[in-house]
Amino acid sequence: VTARRAAILVAVAAGWAAAAWFLWRSSLPAYRLPHLSETVLFPAKALHEAQSYGFGAQLFWLGGTLTQLVVLGIYSRYGVRWMKESAAGPVGTGMLLGMIGFALVWAAQLPFAVLSVWWDRHNGLPGSYLAATVGNWLLLGSEFVALSFALAVAMNLARVRRIGDRWWIPAAPVVVAITLLLAFVGPWLLPSHSLHAGYVTPLENTEHVHVPVRVMSGTQEPNAFATGLGPSRRVFLWKPILEPPFTRRDDRFVLAHELGHLAHNHIWKSIGWDALFTVPLAFLLALVARRRGGMGTPEAIPLVIFAYVVLSLAALPLRNVVQRHMEAEADWSALRATHDPAAGEELFRHFVVVTRDDPSPPWWDYVFLENHPTALQRIEMMRYWKENYAAAQSP
Amino acid sequence: VEPHPDRLSVTDDGRRSRAAVFFRVFLVIPHWFWFGLWSIAVFFVAIAQWLVILVRAQPAAGPHRFLERYVRYTLHVSAYLFLACDVYPPFGGRPGYGVDIESIEPERQGRLGAFFRLVLAIPALLLTATLVGWGGGVRGGAYGFYFSFFTVVGMCSLFSWFVSLALGRSPLQLRDLSAYALGYSAQVNAYCLLVTRRYPNTDPTALLATVARPPAHPVRLEGDAAALRRSRLTVLFRLPFAIPHIVWLYLWGYACNLVAIIDWFVTLFRGRSPRWCHQFLSRYVRYQFHVGAFLSLAANPFPGFVGAHGSYPLDLVLPAEPERQNRWKTGFRIVLVLPAFLIAATLQFLLVIAAICTWFASLVTGSAPAGLRNTMAFGLRYYAQSSAYLYLLTDRYPNASPLEGTDPPPPPRVPDPVWDGPGDDAQVEDMPADEPETE
Repeated sequence: VTARRAAILVAVAAGWAAAAWFLWRSSLPAYRLPHLSETVLFPAKALHEAQSYGFGAQLFWLGGTLTQLVVLGIYSRYGVRWMKESAAGPVGTGMLLGMIGFALVWAAQLPFAVLSVWWDRHNGLPGSYLAATVGNWLLLGSEFVALSFALAVAMNLARVRRIGDRWWIPAAPVVVAITLLLAFVGPWLLPSHSLHAGYVTPLENTEHVHVPVRVMSGTQEPNAFATGLGPSRRVFLWKPILEPPFTRRDDRFVLAHELGHLAHNHIWKSIGWDALFTVPLAFLLALVARRRGGMGTPEAIPLVIFAYVVLSLAALPLRNVVQRHMEAEADWSALRATHDPAAGEELFRHFVVVTRDDPSPPWWDYVFLENHPTALQRIEMMRYWKENYAAAQSP
Repeated sequence: VEPHPDRLSVTDDGRRSRAAVFFRVFLVIPHWFWFGLWSIAVFFVAIAQWLVILVRAQPAAGPHRFLERYVRYTLHVSAYLFLACDVYPPFGGRPGYGVDIESIEPERQGRLGAFFRLVLAIPALLLTATLVGWGGGVRGGAYGFYFSFFTVVGMCSLFSWFVSLALGRSPLQLRDLSAYALGYSAQVNAYCLLVTRRYPNTDPTALLATVARPPAHPVRLEGDAAALRRSRLTVLFRLPFAIPHIVWLYLWGYACNLVAIIDWFVTLFRGRSPRWCHQFLSRYVRYQFHVGAFLSLAANPFPGFVGAHGSYPLDLVLPAEPERQNRWKTGFRIVLVLPAFLIAATLQFLLVIAAICTWFASLVTGSAPAGLRNTMAFGLRYYAQSSAYLYLLTDRYPNASPLEGTDPPPPPRVPDPVWDGPGDDAQVEDMPADEPETE
């Protein structure tokens, strides 16, 4: 039996690795970035402000994360006490226990959320105390819907006698299917208006991606993202990125970057990576749940929630590596489409000044928090392209 | 705890003079003038009384009688205007009117409570606003009357007006609801004008303790009346916790409407709902009730997702099997239900304000005030009865009386001290806990 199990495990691991290799493949060349110094690239004042802001933000993240782990650790031990507040049967009680766990985390992290807003405002960045407190309290509702749904699927499957502890096998495809559905439907639900700019159509022709480009208001952060599957594919630019100090050339580069995501099927790949992470995560959660009577019993939920957060945190560095790889490919795609590394460099310099984005953060910040290449790495890529490809590909 | 001094007495018999009903608004005009003049005097007398209480901690007897009469007169005129009573009210505010409050003797009042009286009264004033409007019945003169139309008492009087003109009688259940709303408003007036130190009590079973109960309705409440404990944590996060239920309720509602259409055609043809439709819709109505009770803090635990009977401490009893139904009533059900839903809509405002007050009270004390809980239970029950009527679970019209119906003939007015003060757990009348299971 052990040999058979080992063989299955090896086969599954090999399948996982093959899928990961398939998803990892990209159009990025084997490059070696030049080493630049941030003190040369950025004004001393901007660099100091970004590093100072980054230090505070990292501190709050660390505090918030440690608090989350401590609260959920204690909750995993004593959370079952709240079972008496439910009249909803085992599955409904499991949902309530899950929600209480995250509600406690929210309450414990509230001081860090408020401090973060204070820190943002202290550093000249936008931030709302109301959104960080009451707004987030209301947003808990949408988080609870997703949590309740996930628990309902997992617990109901685990309560089917013929499935039992193997609930994770059918549950993982259900979660992936829901992710697919949300990725497909989501773009139609976001309020936005069309972007009318002369550079849109030429860029779309260059990248062979023809999708609506939309502008979203109501946010004070300069950013953009690509989303959707098939007919719902769209690029969304947040309004501040279309405003000074960002120039028209910067915006063109941003749009090329987002179109690059779509051109290289990054949404599909992200869902593929989600699936690859979901399967082992669900398996490990099933193992943890067995210690408290299995996933079908509400008593297991506080421990499962704790394990989920710990495992997600442990997987974060790996997920960030994957995400950074796709972002680098999108940058490369933008360079090939625009032939304008100067615009890219200017864009990333502006990001450092406007968003206080530390161009070279400490290693642990890079490992856990950075899902994009650092501003310094991105500028290095611009320089590399300029030195090696600009002459060959210039029109 | 002493019983509240200004309990309501209702001796009106429900008979209405059609002519007096038709011209009711015009007949009240002399009272409006008199009321306006009296209100000016009350403004100054109340300030003087306030100063007296701050100094002596005891109201002066003369101003007390003056203000008490004013409170009583306001109730009389409001009851007449909103068709809770048919006798033309006297101008002096003397006791003995068809809808009246008991006499309130001068009593010692705490200086601190008196000093902050209007601040303390804010929750009660908000509840009054949903019951009788910002004008507080006749308080705002003609404007108050118009504003009151979108409140509980306004809706009751609107439908009473039509029924009274047609039948020469006012439906007693609507009269009771109007009397309850106006009685509570009188309690608030008495509190604000320093006539009493006791906080107004919203509990319908206490306020209408001397009023005969209506006949039993097939859709009724059951549960543990003493279950007032609230978990502070689940109270704090009550709205986010309820959101998965709201999403599920919304999705279930779509299926329910489809089933209701099928049910309507079949019932119109056969005179009885198909059993599966009845069961499906019963579960939905009960689930809606459970979610409402959880969200409004009328009950404490997290409810199940299937509307199972007996699964929740504040539960709804529905007819176990489909009943034979009148085809005319079935055919026009969607029209007939409109008045009930309009009244239910005004009760929802009351429910929201009561829920907010309960939220704060439960966070502080870990317990829901019994009066507010009973008020919310009434609002939820009336909505559930309206839904049950719409979804053809019964063809009995919803019971608008804040009192739960009863099977045996009610005893003649027994002035028992049913209500024992705020925070008391003795309000069992509205939710008979051990009635036989009908499902």
